[in-house]
This record gives sequence, structure tokens and C-alpha cells, in this order.
Amino acid sequence: MSPGEQGIGYRSALSPHCSPLSIRIADINISILTQDPELRIGVEGAAKQFLTHSAAPSPAFDGRVKKPRSGSTLSKPKASGRAVEGLATQANPDVMVQARWGDDFKQCRGEKIFDSGALWQLYSENGFYLFRFISQALGSLPYKVAYFNGSFTEGKVFLQRSYFNDKPCIYPLEYPLDELLFINFLALGRGVEVHACGVMDSRGRGHLFVGQSTAGKTTIAKLWEYEPNSTVLSDDRIILRKMDNTIWMYGTPWHGEAMLASPSRAPLTAVYFLEKGQKNELISQKPVNSIGRLFACSFPPFYNRDALDFILTFLEDVVKNVPCYELRFTPDKRVVEFIKGDRFT
Amino acid sequence: MSGRKKQGERVQKKPYTKPEVKQVPLRPEEAVLGFCKNTGVYGPTITGCKPLGNCSGIGS
Repeated sequence: MSPGEQGIGYRSALSPHCSPLSIRIADINISILTQDPELRIGVEGAAKQFLTHSAAPSPAFDGRVKKPRSGSTLSKPKASGRAVEGLATQANPDVMVQARWGDDFKQCRGEKIFDSGALWQLYSENGFYLFRFISQALGSLPYKVAYFNGSFTEGKVFLQRSYFNDKPCIYPLEYPLDELLFINFLALGRGVEVHACGVMDSRGRGHLFVGQSTAGKTTIAKLWEYEPNSTVLSDDRIILRKMDNTIWMYGTPWHGEAMLASPSRAPLTAVYFLEKGQKNELISQKPVNSIGRLFACSFPPFYNRDALDFILTFLEDVVKNVPCYELRFTPDKRVVEFIKGDRFT
Repeated sequence: MSGRKKQGERVQKKPYTKPEVKQVPLRPEEAVLGFCKNTGVYGPTITGCKPLGNCSGIGS
């Protein structure tokens, strides 16, 4: 199967039995649909919080989600449980993805351009990107393949039926495809995803705690979790975008062990590179160090030179506009009070 | 000429600082999203990263 055989231009060819669902992450709308009557699609885990809710879509529906008001209490997503079947759709999504069963996953005519070393490989074929998802636990053939056009605005996901048969409802963009789609779409001039915990405090200020695994993101998230009128946007993945000359940090569904995810956003007020310490202190960073540390905790599409160029430029912009520190912290509540200080007012 | 300094004007030279190379640790296994996200919390259920299940590889 290839985009050439199946075509990817299905925007105006939806059959009546489609059951589209829509998610909205970082002000980016994605519609997922299927024309396959035997495939039931839905959303799993924290992504449920990012569903665009509309029980009865109409032509007037503009696809916008009501954002939780600033300071709203956080509901903890459940990472387990059955998928929710979404029936919302958007009049004009940024990305449209079609899902269907596939059966011929053996052939791959494209040129391999990246290998993650584990779950997925990326190929280029006739101007399309092809992701092949293979798990050694399942065998040598992909359990899923996904085609996207060069701008990542349209895609098709083919699922290997034998691997999914016992699932009543399938989320076609199941991790890591959803995150891969976002980092590629963002990298075309729209924003950057970073490995970070993001917190909106009671004044609506966005604090970004950046670090790789074991740096302390989960610890920080849990310390803020029950802070009155504050919201943990994510304990592990934050999307940064610049809109109207403001750098915004957005929550994502790709949570970490604290399982905290929120579809809210906050203007980025400060960046902290996490380091464990004997006391709470902030160490100023040279801009070049900050850019390097942010880049090391970002998720760039390494195979795309233009995207890398954009990400570095974007991070430079972030560093120019937002104070960046190394935060040496003790893992207790005092660090929350320390950060809540008035230094940014 | 704009490139010439006026007479008597002292040129304030920036003190020389030896260039230094700072290494930033990268974690490619995390950055490329190649593995299950973390132990038993989030990941492709079909490959064993289901909630509270066994993960075939930890990547972040």
C-alpha cells in the first residue's frame, strides 16, 4: 500500500458511516476518521482530556475548545480503562488523519531516512513520509504504518488487524505516533515540544521545569499538584508556541509518572533547568547555555534540516524573552514557595 | 570616516575570555520517542506498554 495507490486526498470524500473524532493540543486541531465500518476508533488515556467535545457536530461548529479557566483545579487523567469513542468533528482541522485496516505491510519501497532504534522507522516515498511501527514483541512486520504528506496536514494510518483484533476500540494515533505527528507538525514553523514539567501558578504565570529523565520533573509536579489555584499542565511534556508576541506553554497528553496532563496554557514566565541541590537557589545562565540545555531536552525531527534550523531559532527567541535559570532544589514544599516569590512581577 | 576613533577617545577593550566548550548531555533514546514512555504508564498498549504492564523498553 502506498499513498500513490490509495490517494491521500479524502477531505471531500467522507462516507456517511465515518465516525470522526477530534483532539486539540496546543491550539492544533486534529481530526481522526475512518471509512472502515469494521474499525471503531476512539481515544485512550490522558488524550481523552484533549477531545473536542461536541455530541452533535454541525456546520457552524468551529472546533474551538473551551479552555479551563485560569487556576481551575486539575483532574487527574486515568491512564487505564477503555477508549472513549469520540464523535466530535471540526469544520477546518489543521491535520486530518484517516485510519483503516491494512493487510500488506511487507513491502516498503521508500528510502529509509531515520531509525529510532526501537519502535519506529521513517521512510520517504514520493514526497510522503512513511512511519513503520515494529515491536520485537510482536514480530518483524509492522503492527501499524502511517503515511503523511510533506506538510503533515494529511495522513493515513493502516493498522494490522491481527494485532488489534481483541480491542473493541482503537486509538489510531496511539503513542508514539501522536507525539511524532506533533513534533513534525510543530517543527514546520509552529513551535517546539520540550521534556519538561509545566506549571501555571495562581497568578497565571507559566513556569517551565526542564530536564531529562530523573531530573526531578515528577517531584516538582507532585509538589505543585495540590497547590491552590495552580495547574500542572504536564509533568513530562510541554509544547512551546509563540503567538501574538507571547511565548505560551501548553499542556499535552504525554504525561509522565505523576500522570498529570491538562489542555490549558499559560504565558511562559521563566525557565528552570532542574538540578538536585542542598538548598533552593537559582543560577543565572548564559544565553548560549540555555539554548543548548533547552535543545538537549527538546524533541526535534533530527532528519529535517529546516526543522532543526527553526527549532534553534525558536529556542533563541525563547531565551531572549524569558529568564532562564538553573534551579538547584530540595525535594520538598519549600521549592514551591521559593518559585512563587515575587521576582517576576 | 566612521571607522576612525576621535582623538583622545579611549578604546575600551573587552577583556579576553578563553573560549570554553560546554557539553550538554543528550539522551537519544528519549529524544527520538523510540521506546515506551515510562514504566507501565503510557505507551503503545499493543507492544506491552499498557498501564501497569510490562514495558519492552524504557525510553523516558
